[in-house]
Amino acid sequence: MRWSRRPATPLPAEPSCAQVAEVLQAYLDGELGPQDAGLVAAHLEHCERCQIEAATYERVIAAIRRQRPPAPPEVTDRLTRLLDELAPPDEGSSRP
Amino acid sequence: MLGVAPSRLDASARCRTGCACPLAWAAMATSPQLERFRELVLPELDLLYRVALRLTRAPAPAEDLVHDTLERALRAFDGFDGRHPRAWLLTILRNTHRNDLRRHRPDLLDQQDAERLPSGGGHEVEDATATQALASQFDPALRRAIRGLSARHRAVLVLVDIDGLTYREAAEVLAVPVGTVMSRLHRARRKVRSRLEAAGHPEVDG
Repeated sequence: MRWSRRPATPLPAEPSCAQVAEVLQAYLDGELGPQDAGLVAAHLEHCERCQIEAATYERVIAAIRRQRPPAPPEVTDRLTRLLDELAPPDEGSSRP
Repeated sequence: MLGVAPSRLDASARCRTGCACPLAWAAMATSPQLERFRELVLPELDLLYRVALRLTRAPAPAEDLVHDTLERALRAFDGFDGRHPRAWLLTILRNTHRNDLRRHRPDLLDQQDAERLPSGGGHEVEDATATQALASQFDPALRRAIRGLSARHRAVLVLVDIDGLTYREAAEVLAVPVGTVMSRLHRARRKVRSRLEAAGHPEVDG
C-alpha cells in the first residue's frame, strides 16, 4: 500500500487541540493506532472544545451513513444464487 | 437480470475437463475449500454490488462485474492467504473493471477512478434513499451538500461513509494512497459540515 504521508504521525504524550483536530476524524473512524487513539481519548476527556468538535463530526458522519441504500433484495438473491453455483453450500447447511 | 447466459451458471454444466475456468477449479476444489470461499464471500456480496454500481453506474453491468469478480476470485482462491477478504475482493473487482474498460472503453482509462465514481447522488442511489430521505428534513440538505462536493471528495466520502469501506479499502478501489483517502475524506466532511451549518441545520451544532 502506498502512503502519501503517514495518516497520523505519532502524537506527543500531551497533544494540543490542533494536533488532535488533525487526527480526530481518523480517530472517530477507528483508523488510528491504539497508542494515538488512547492519547486522543485522554485529550477528549478534559477538553470541552474538542469534545464538541468530536460530537459534531459524529453527528455528521452518522447522518451521512444513514444515506446508505440497501442493495435491492432481488439483486442480493441473484448474487447469492451465483455464489451457490460457484461454491455450492454444504448439504445440510442453511442459506442465510 | 444478470447479463450472462444462464447456462454459464448452470451447475449441471460444471466443467470437469481440466481447463482453467472457475467451474473447473470448483469441480476440483475440496468441499471445505469451497465452503471457506463461500464463508468469506457471502458477507461481502452487498458491498461488492454497491461498489460495482458506483464504478459502472448501472445495475446490469454492476451485476456482471460482481459475477466476473467472483469467478476470478474463485480461480485465485488457492493462492489467497485468507487475510482481509474484503480488500482482496475489492482489488479483484477494481482490476476486473479496469480490464473491462481496457477492452471496451479505453478512452475512460485515462480518467481517475474518482472522476468516474459518481456520487452517492446517482439516480439509483437517490431512488433507493428516497423513503429514508422523506423521514427527515435533514437528509435532503445533506444530499445537496454531498452532491455539491467535487468528484474526488465525493467518491471518497461515498465509499467510506456510505459504503462502509475502511481507508485502506477505499484506497484499493480508487488506486490512490491511503493518506490521500484520509485527506480527501476529511476535507469532504468539513465541507459537508460547513454547508449544513450554512443551511441552518442545528443538528450539526448539537
